[in-house]
Amino acid sequence: MNSTFNWLGTAVPFQRGESLAVALRRAEVDDLGSASGGLRGRYFCGIGACQACLVSVNGAAPVEACLTPARAGVQVTLAAPPACEVHRVVA
Amino acid sequence: MLSPDLQPDVLVVGGGPAGVAAAVELVGMGLSVLLAEQRDRLGGAIHRAYIGVGPSPIKRNAHHQRDWQALLDRVSQAGDRLTLQLQSVFLGVEGDGCYLLDDRVAGRVRPVRPRAVVMAVGGVERVLPIPGWELPGVTTVGGLQVQLKETGEAPRGPILVAGSGPLPLALAAQLAAAGKPPLALLERGTPFGTALAQPGAAFNSLRSWPPLAEALGYARQLLRSGVPYRTGCRVTAIEAMALGLRVTTVNGRGQTQVYEVAQLALHDGLDANQTGLPRQDAPGLPVVWAGDCREVLGAAAAVQDGRQAARKVAKVLGQPCPDASFNGPLHSARRLQAALRTLYHAPAPVPPPETVVCRCEGLRASGFAALQGAASPHEIRVVGRFAMGACQGRFCARAAQALAAQAGVAFEPQDLHGSVPRWPLRPVSVAALAAYSPE
Repeated sequence: MNSTFNWLGTAVPFQRGESLAVALRRAEVDDLGSASGGLRGRYFCGIGACQACLVSVNGAAPVEACLTPARAGVQVTLAAPPACEVHRVVA
Repeated sequence: MLSPDLQPDVLVVGGGPAGVAAAVELVGMGLSVLLAEQRDRLGGAIHRAYIGVGPSPIKRNAHHQRDWQALLDRVSQAGDRLTLQLQSVFLGVEGDGCYLLDDRVAGRVRPVRPRAVVMAVGGVERVLPIPGWELPGVTTVGGLQVQLKETGEAPRGPILVAGSGPLPLALAAQLAAAGKPPLALLERGTPFGTALAQPGAAFNSLRSWPPLAEALGYARQLLRSGVPYRTGCRVTAIEAMALGLRVTTVNGRGQTQVYEVAQLALHDGLDANQTGLPRQDAPGLPVVWAGDCREVLGAAAAVQDGRQAARKVAKVLGQPCPDASFNGPLHSARRLQAALRTLYHAPAPVPPPETVVCRCEGLRASGFAALQGAASPHEIRVVGRFAMGACQGRFCARAAQALAAQAGVAFEPQDLHGSVPRWPLRPVSVAALAAYSPE
């Protein structure tokens, strides 16, 4: 595991072909930070269904960390909260 | 003009056993196929590819492996009538039958204009809401299992597997075989007691040899590794500690036990993943669903169902194809699934008010109290926002339905989605959309 990507200033090693999500979990990064609804970003379903592990690669639009192959040298951050958070109707 | 690749005879969405079986069968009939898969390799959840060199160190079902290898051989022999579109996510359908794929390698949305479509997007796990199930470190059983398959390594730290059904059993045995037995396997149901009370279901669950052999292998592994299998036992609360999770459980006699773990895997069954799929009976472009997204029957049946879907498509397109019947294997898979549902049946506990129900927007069970005037799934969605988050209700619709039923409002979980699919189904960048042109 010589290749790494960058997670909030930390170099995360990965094996070729694995997803960002499993590399982060191996590196003990389970908590991906503050997400919508007062919850935390996190890995859950592993198949792109739950949308809980949305991250941004090099500042781009959100992608599921569990579907996205890790690449050397990229900057990975938790994706910005979705627009619905901004327009949230509070009951 | 679209490139010929983007005007195939058939678009197949999903590169698991059903989608790949459908695709190679269609190619064999002389049709051109574009096979779209969201990951960078075929396999789906069941055959999630191992990233290492050589065979995976994780124990897998030999029967399924043989089926899958046979399909991969046919993919490699398919020639140029089969185009693979990897790392491409199905977003939705434009009004005139133009299917939109988010090609995440190219960074653009691609329009596909097929003559027919096979949707083979698999199943989605059911997980009942428990206080704390939204915490990092809690995954689905399938989520932990695909991590294990992909990396070939057991996840770090102590693990607890809980919920209901055969999949937790499979994961616990695979973890044990990988040298990382879970602290325990907790089953909400009481399959052994139910088997005595309902011998018909017990008999039907034992009638097919391959799944029975698989289950016996798992049981043997758990015994050998000393993993306790506690039935009638469920998780009541999960709390975050400085490091890891504190999981409180209760058994059928009301005794509580606390586990301190790094990972908790939960699973309460499988549902067909039908959220946002174009309908099979809609006018216009023919659409056929195949595999677990049509009906959850498991991996072996998914191959047969994919082949059946290919024949349905060929018939609609007027393409000659040999006659074949798949009723036998599909029927026995259906009988097995029904028997397992009976054996593992356990009533769903009512989530306490503080329980997060919607995992996308943090809506809690107590939020239903504020919705007392809501008399329809539409109001629960629009006013309460249940099923309005990024996952589109895949993980809350069933719980929202149960809470609504308590308040006297009855509906099916899928009614919460409304009648119009909300496309795009997945996040897509504005730049990728801007790069899309319909011609």
